[in-house]
Amino acid sequence: MADGPKKRYGWKLALLVLLLLVIVFGAVGWYKFFREEPQPDWVTATPDMRFKYGSIGAEHDAGLPYWIFFVLPRMFPEKLPGPGGYASLGVAWEQGQELPIGFTKKVVGFPRVANNCASCHTASYRKSPNDNPVFVPTGPNHTLNLQAFFRFAVDCAKDPRFNADEIMSQIALVYDLPFLDKLIYRYALIPITKKRLLEREKQFQWVYHKEFPLWGRGRDDAMNLTKYFLLNWPMDDSIGPTDMPSIWNLKKYQPEKGMLMNLAGDSHDARSVIIDSALGLLAAKPHDSEDFRKQIDWLVSYLSEKQAPKFPFAMDAKLAEVGKGVFDANCARCHASERTGTRVPVEEVGTDRERLKTWSKKAAVESNKVVRNFGIERRGLVENEPSGYIAAFLDGIWLRAPYLHNGSVPSLRDLLSPVAERPKVFYRGYDVYDPVNVGFVTEGEEAERVGTRYDVSERASGNQGHEYGTNLSAKEKDALIEYLKTL
Amino acid sequence: MDERSSMQRVLSRIGLITVVLSVLVVLGAMFLLGRFGADIPVDYNDDSDHFKYGSLGSEHEFGVPYWIWRALPELFQDKLPPPGQGWQSVGFVFEPGKDLPVGMSKRRYLGFDLVWLNCAFCHAGTVRETPQSAPKVYAAMPANTFDFRAFMRFLFATGEDRRFTPQDILRQIDTIRKREGLRRLPLIDRLVLRFYGIYYMRERILTLRDRLNFIKDEPEWGPGRVDTFNPLKAYFNFPIDKLPQRERIGTTDFPSIWNQGQREALKMNLHWDGNNVSLEERNRSAAMGAGITPPTGDRPRMKRVADWLRKLDAPPYPFKIDKTLAAQGAPIYKKYCAECHGADGKDFRGEYSGMVVPIENIGTDRHRLDSYTYDVAVNQNMIFAEYGDERFSHFRKTFGYANSPLDGIWLRAPYLHNGSVPTLRDLLQPSAKRPKTFYRGYDVYDQKNLGFVTDVAEENGKKFFLYDTDEKKEPGNSNQGHEGKRYGTELSATEKDALLEYLKTF
Repeated sequence: MADGPKKRYGWKLALLVLLLLVIVFGAVGWYKFFREEPQPDWVTATPDMRFKYGSIGAEHDAGLPYWIFFVLPRMFPEKLPGPGGYASLGVAWEQGQELPIGFTKKVVGFPRVANNCASCHTASYRKSPNDNPVFVPTGPNHTLNLQAFFRFAVDCAKDPRFNADEIMSQIALVYDLPFLDKLIYRYALIPITKKRLLEREKQFQWVYHKEFPLWGRGRDDAMNLTKYFLLNWPMDDSIGPTDMPSIWNLKKYQPEKGMLMNLAGDSHDARSVIIDSALGLLAAKPHDSEDFRKQIDWLVSYLSEKQAPKFPFAMDAKLAEVGKGVFDANCARCHASERTGTRVPVEEVGTDRERLKTWSKKAAVESNKVVRNFGIERRGLVENEPSGYIAAFLDGIWLRAPYLHNGSVPSLRDLLSPVAERPKVFYRGYDVYDPVNVGFVTEGEEAERVGTRYDVSERASGNQGHEYGTNLSAKEKDALIEYLKTL
Repeated sequence: MDERSSMQRVLSRIGLITVVLSVLVVLGAMFLLGRFGADIPVDYNDDSDHFKYGSLGSEHEFGVPYWIWRALPELFQDKLPPPGQGWQSVGFVFEPGKDLPVGMSKRRYLGFDLVWLNCAFCHAGTVRETPQSAPKVYAAMPANTFDFRAFMRFLFATGEDRRFTPQDILRQIDTIRKREGLRRLPLIDRLVLRFYGIYYMRERILTLRDRLNFIKDEPEWGPGRVDTFNPLKAYFNFPIDKLPQRERIGTTDFPSIWNQGQREALKMNLHWDGNNVSLEERNRSAAMGAGITPPTGDRPRMKRVADWLRKLDAPPYPFKIDKTLAAQGAPIYKKYCAECHGADGKDFRGEYSGMVVPIENIGTDRHRLDSYTYDVAVNQNMIFAEYGDERFSHFRKTFGYANSPLDGIWLRAPYLHNGSVPTLRDLLQPSAKRPKTFYRGYDVYDQKNLGFVTDVAEENGKKFFLYDTDEKKEPGNSNQGHEGKRYGTELSATEKDALLEYLKTF
């Protein structure tokens, strides 16, 4: 009799201890892997700061553990395009900021780094080589070598030096991780990160395609990204790298007037494009759909209102006035009319067709289905075959060089030349501005060192088409260019 | 009962053995922890001693066991520039009665007395009135005799030498200790050094050599100079050979580092190109050059140095000053120099004081400016990440050189950022008339011209460094710029005399 209650008591005690252990482990586990800390206040202090550094929730599935992100360029500099760490990828990196624009740092259990829209949509320019860059949020990131960035992450994971011993010893040089965090990095984060990056390799196959030309700075193959990432389609033979677009002033797109978005009119409205691009950054179904909706709402309103920057050099107002006349007579028909923002058949505009072949009605239908299954409502992608390119709005056109959808023409002045006279080889991604020709400097020692070589004879990179205004007199061209600076 | 009691006996014996063993293990662990777990730097009551011999924490990452440090220059004396002269041979300064040079601290860590560098190895120097006088050490002046590259070359040469073995090094240590009347190194120290320490140290030396290998392609620095920001690129592991040639030379003089408080208060642009206004950040950055890492820096002791340097005055000119003549120089200074260099040697305020002058205007050698790039600046933003306010956020790419106050200018020869002009008198000449070549590293003072004596090639077997200002032969060494009417090079001889006399009072 005396033993009975004691035994039961012991059993109860064991259960209690077990329960406590489970609770403690659970709590520590939740704290160390899942707790979300808001970003510091400075991140959301202004709309521009929020756009540049604010998390859109991509840290959950697409984020890298902060310290792995930190040490990779030091461990694997040979896998970057050149010296300079992440800067060699052409990221827009402000002086004083811990991370480049478009790179977000957030604690989800542990500090993680992911991306937001600003990584591809922040432009930079320098007024002279003796100036520091000016960054323009929502402008096209013409310096970013996105393909090299994709490859860098995967190449690092494939390297045998991507292991816990080597990475931990690199981290030890820069930060004293607490004991428990050391264990977490060594036994969880490093192996899991390696595995995840290697899994990406399959999806990234086309990024390594030997016969495809490199995208170079300022371009990405957006529709293929959607096919291979969102739809998980097997690799096909299409390639269509295009310029990163500016995304300011999105309210100019009026879907009710039949306007479409994306370079080939692939999407119905701004909200759809923002959702689809954000999903690309998240690389998964949103972790918190309510938060995701709020982020999208904010982006839609910010990007609708944000205006293109003014041309930062002196302008000749009189000449521009003359140029307005030239513009009205020659360009307005497509670029300032009912036709603006709608598809122009490729047969008419005559520019490179490869981009159109990267997308299809089937892809649109399936993508819409996937997003609908995420529980996200949007008008979505246009469910028909791509047939032409959108007649572009020209606000802030001065900062959107190089020109045409594939960025095959360095400057506005070149664009007003017949195809035969446009540069056949030039260098993209150098940020010193050329106010005379309106575009970036694309030749010379520095442009060649910093930039990536663009050869118009490569696939999807043709500079043909849009031969409009090429017969204008030199004077008329000067006037027209002066006017375009004012847009 | 019997069975049970014998069982009990066995059990109690096992228990006893367990207890004894546990006690032994605990005692052993405590001994090892005490022996190898301690982290105790040498401390000094005097701030100046702390500056010269105190610790920043650089021993944690780079520390060399004290006895190996002692053994190296003896075992490898043939590898020293003037053989057989000890660490003095590469320009280290020893004060009487000290076993470590100025700029070297000691810390008990990992069970050894480890030694490594602090601020003073680049920022303390010596002055002699005549070749016969004893050298006087001035803390916080530029290390005018220390040859950083000769030091590294020697260190790397030891690592490459076949004598860098536990046997040879321990034997050398034995010899020194015997000579000094000390017993042999304790067995436990010998064992650790024999089977681990010396191999590890050799590996570290060779790794460092590979990392800094690129320096061999730079023109010789000579004593008193360093390339500050290319080694930082190596720290980031940038492939140096892929950098454009124009940014691969950044040789500059060590600066003086007294009177930091007023510079901080006036938000002056620090470093030669003025790339940072934050004194704290500049200090952390420099401490990394001495060997600390973000996790291993000794914050309280670094702060002690920083606070002392904030208040430290420049040492007054120790030789005769003609007060009347100096008074005549004051208005000339005010007219020509004060706007950029501050009201006088104590008051640094001036319209352009501490600001960056565009390279086109100042016209001095541009290599140092070009060696610091935008890419370096943004990469620095990640240094000290996750250490709160310590993270670097003030580095900026500039496009010129910063105006510096002239406190203690008499001790800061040779002049200009690259040390291309031997004396202040030479600096008041147009570049065409400045010396084309001269010797650096000699510490006898030239009271007439304000600077060090630069025509002595050798003293007691120690050869001084011939500085060649020909930029074609030695890029980065140009002595051009800071010249023209605005810069006082067109003053009359008497005006120059007066101005120089006045500058002695700074």
